[in-house]
Amino acid sequence: MKRRDFLKWTAVSSAGLAMPCGLPALGRIAQAAQGPDLVVAKGASAPQTVRAALDALGGMKRFVSKGDVVILKPNIGWDRTPQYAATTNPDVVGALSKLCYESGAKKVRVFDNTVNDARRCYRQSGIADAAAAAGAEMVYMDSRKYRDVRINGTALKSWPLYGEIFEADKVINVPIAKTHSLSKLTLGMKNWMGVMGGVRFRVHQRLDESLVDLIRVIKPTLTVLDAVRILTANGPTGGDLGDVKRLDTVVAGTDQVAVDAFGATLFGMKGSDLEHVKLAAKAGLGVMDLSKLQIRRIGV
Amino acid sequence: MSELTLTRARRIVQGLFLVLFLFLFIQTESKGTDELGWPVKLFLDFDPLIFLTTFLSSHRVEGLFWLSLILAGLTVLLGRVFCGWVCPLGTLNNLAGSLRRKRPKPPGPGWFRVKYYILAGLLASSLFGVQLAGVLDPISLTIRSFSLALYPAASYAVTSLFDAIYRLDLPFVTPASEAVYGLLKKTVLPFQQPWFAQGTFIGLLFLGVLALNLVQRRFWCRFLCPLGALLGLLSRYSVLRRSVSEECDACGACAGVCQADAVPAGKDKWRASECLVCNNCDDVCPKNAVSFGLMKGRPRGGLDLVRRNVTASVFAGAFAVPLLRISPLARPRMSDAKIIRPPGSLGEAAFLQSCVRCGECMKVCITGGLQPTLLEAGLEGLWTPVLVPRIGYCEFGCTLCGQVCPTGAIRKLPLEQKQQVRLGHAAIDKGRCLPFAHATPCIVCEETCPTPKKAIWLEEVSVKDREGRSIRLQQPHVDLTMCIGCGACEKHCPVVGRPAIAVTSAGESRTEEHQLLLQAPAGSPDK
Repeated sequence: MKRRDFLKWTAVSSAGLAMPCGLPALGRIAQAAQGPDLVVAKGASAPQTVRAALDALGGMKRFVSKGDVVILKPNIGWDRTPQYAATTNPDVVGALSKLCYESGAKKVRVFDNTVNDARRCYRQSGIADAAAAAGAEMVYMDSRKYRDVRINGTALKSWPLYGEIFEADKVINVPIAKTHSLSKLTLGMKNWMGVMGGVRFRVHQRLDESLVDLIRVIKPTLTVLDAVRILTANGPTGGDLGDVKRLDTVVAGTDQVAVDAFGATLFGMKGSDLEHVKLAAKAGLGVMDLSKLQIRRIGV
Repeated sequence: MSELTLTRARRIVQGLFLVLFLFLFIQTESKGTDELGWPVKLFLDFDPLIFLTTFLSSHRVEGLFWLSLILAGLTVLLGRVFCGWVCPLGTLNNLAGSLRRKRPKPPGPGWFRVKYYILAGLLASSLFGVQLAGVLDPISLTIRSFSLALYPAASYAVTSLFDAIYRLDLPFVTPASEAVYGLLKKTVLPFQQPWFAQGTFIGLLFLGVLALNLVQRRFWCRFLCPLGALLGLLSRYSVLRRSVSEECDACGACAGVCQADAVPAGKDKWRASECLVCNNCDDVCPKNAVSFGLMKGRPRGGLDLVRRNVTASVFAGAFAVPLLRISPLARPRMSDAKIIRPPGSLGEAAFLQSCVRCGECMKVCITGGLQPTLLEAGLEGLWTPVLVPRIGYCEFGCTLCGQVCPTGAIRKLPLEQKQQVRLGHAAIDKGRCLPFAHATPCIVCEETCPTPKKAIWLEEVSVKDREGRSIRLQQPHVDLTMCIGCGACEKHCPVVGRPAIAVTSAGESRTEEHQLLLQAPAGSPDK
C-alpha cells in the first residue's frame, strides 16, 4: 500500500512539475482567505510563541486533520546542546508535536539524517526528550527507506530521498536559522538535506541549484523557522556562545521560499542575497519579494 | 525434580556469569550521552594478570585494580574457582567441548605445564617493559574477539536476514519480522553495523581456540591460559581441598571427567593448582569417595615445573624486549603519520606498556573509527587502537574510549580537557581538493569542522577553468593552532578513495617531540 502511495505521489508531482508555474499562485489566492502568508511571532516562551504563530496562521487544525501521520523535520545535524543554536530548539519541536496531537494527528514522527552521531545529536539537542514528553516518536533514519526520486532539476536529476517524507499525510519543516559558508544561511530549504541519502556532500558542488531542486519535489504542509536563538558565525556547527544571538522569534508560513526570504532579514540580509532563494523564486517555487506577502507580526 | 548437584549448580553460575559478561559487553555502546551507566570493564578490573603485568611494565596502578586483588585473594583461599565457575572463555570452552560427545584422549601428561612457561615469558617481558599479556589474557582475548569479530559478524548475519524479509515485503511475515527486528535493535543488536580491520583474522583465531576443545576439552584452560597459570600458582596452598576416602577403588572415573589435569592416576596426587573446582569428580564417583572441604596441610600433587624450561621462558620473554624494540617505530623521536592514537592516550612508549588490546575502546567508539593495528605500530603494538578517520572520526563531545580503558593507556579526561587534545593535524591535498585542483566549489571540510572557532577557514579566490572563465569560490586552509586532528573533515570529504584532506599524527599533543609548530598551540601539551 505504501509503495502504491509513493508511486501515486510521484506521478502527481511529476504532473505538477510539467505544468506552468501558475499553480502556486492559484493556491495563494485560495489561502488568502484563511490567514496571512507569514507570521512572525516574538515572545519569551518558545512554546507559547509557536502556539501564537500557528493561531495567527489559522490554527494547526488548518494543516493537520484527524488521523494524520505527521512528520516533523527539525535540524538535528550536529552534536550540540540547544544553547549553541546549531540544532532546532527542542521547545519548538515539542510545542509543534503537541499542537499536531491537539488537532487530531494519529502519530507525530520526528527524524533527521544527522552528520554527527545520530544518538548523540538526538539526545544532546534536547529534541529526543522534548519529543518524548509530547508523545511524538523520535526515530532513527532507516537506511533501507531511501528511494531514488526523479527530480529532473537543473543540478539533480534524481536522488535517494527518505520515503516517509512522501508517504506521510503531513510534513512540517522545522529548521533553525544559522550561517553557512556556502549557502550563506541555512534555513528551510537547506534543511531538506537532512532527508537526502547517498553521497550528499557531493551536492555542495552546485549547492544553491540542488536546494532548489529539492523543493521541486518536497512540498511541506508548513514551515516553522526557529529563530529563538540564531547562530551568526561558525555555522552550521557553532560551539561558541559568542556567536549565538537570542531573537525569541518563530516564523511560520506555508510558502517555504517566503519563510527563507524572511529568514534572511534576521541576519540583516535580503532574500535575494541568498542564491537558492533567488533561484527558487525564479523557478516559481515560492515568493521571495516580501512586499508581495501579507506578513503578520505578533508579540506574545 | 532431580537434586541440585554441585555440577549443576556450577553450570547455572557459569551461565549467569556468561550472561553478565555479554550484558556488560552489549552495554559498551553509547546511548547518546557521555556515560554508559554500567561498569562495562568489570571483568577486566577483576583480572590479576592484567594488573600484575601492567604494573610490571608501566609501574602504574589504575583505578579499580584493587578488584583484581579480591580475585587473587579468593583464589589463594579457594583455588581456581574463577576458571571453573566464572571465566566466560572457560564457559565457552565447556560449551564447545560438549560438541564432541566422546572425550578425546589427552595429548600428553606434561602439557599442562606449558601455560606456566607462557606465564613466565609474559611476566619476564612485562618486567622489562613490554606488555604482551593482553594478547593471551582470556578476558582480553574474549572481549577483543567479541568486539572485533563475533559481534559484528552476528550483527551482519541477523541484519541481512531481516533485510531480506523486508525486501520480500510479504504480508504478515514482514510486519512481524520488522517488529522482532525493532526489538532486537533496541536490545542486543549494535546501533550500527561495526566494521573492523582484521575482524576475519581475529575471529578465526578465536574459533581456533574453541576448536581446540575437540582435541582436548578445555584445551586452552589446561595448557595455554596464562591467567589460569597465575591463578594456579596462587591456589597451590588453597584451603579448599579435595580428599578421597578409603572407599576409593581406583576405578578412574574421576580422571575421565576432570576438566583439567588435576587428577592423575593415584588418588592422593591431586594437583591443587590445576583443579578448576568443577566438582565433576565429586559428582561422578560411584563410591561417593570424593569430597571437597576446608583442610590444612600441603597437597601432594606438585607442578613439577622443569626448571630449565622456566629459565628458557624467562629468557625468551626478556629477549623479546630488545627484539621488538629494534623496530624503527621504537626509535627515539620517531613519529609515524598513521599512528593516530585515541584522545588522552599516553605517549607511544608508555601507551604500549599499558595497552592490553582488550578492544573495549574499539567496541565503544561511537563512530567505529578506532581500529586494531596489525604491524603498523610494530609487532609490539599488535592489535592496539588507532583512529582511521576515513572509517570514523573522533566525536567532539565523546570521551567514552578513555572511560572504558582498563589500564589508563587512554586516560579518562574530563570533556573540556579532551576537546583540547590534538590527535594530530589535518592537511589538505591540493592535487585532489575540488576547489584547488578542479575549480569546483566545496566547503564540506570546513562545514563539518567541530571546533567552536573553526580550524578550517576559507579563502575566497578567483580561479580560472579550462575555458578561461573566472570562477569565484572558496578554498580551505587548516589553522594548526586550532586543528585537533579529529578527522571529521577527512571522514566527510567527498573526494572518494584517498581523501583531499587527511589527518596525520604530526602535531599530536601527547608527545612534545611530535609538535609541528615552534610555538605549541594553546591547550594541553599533556604528558
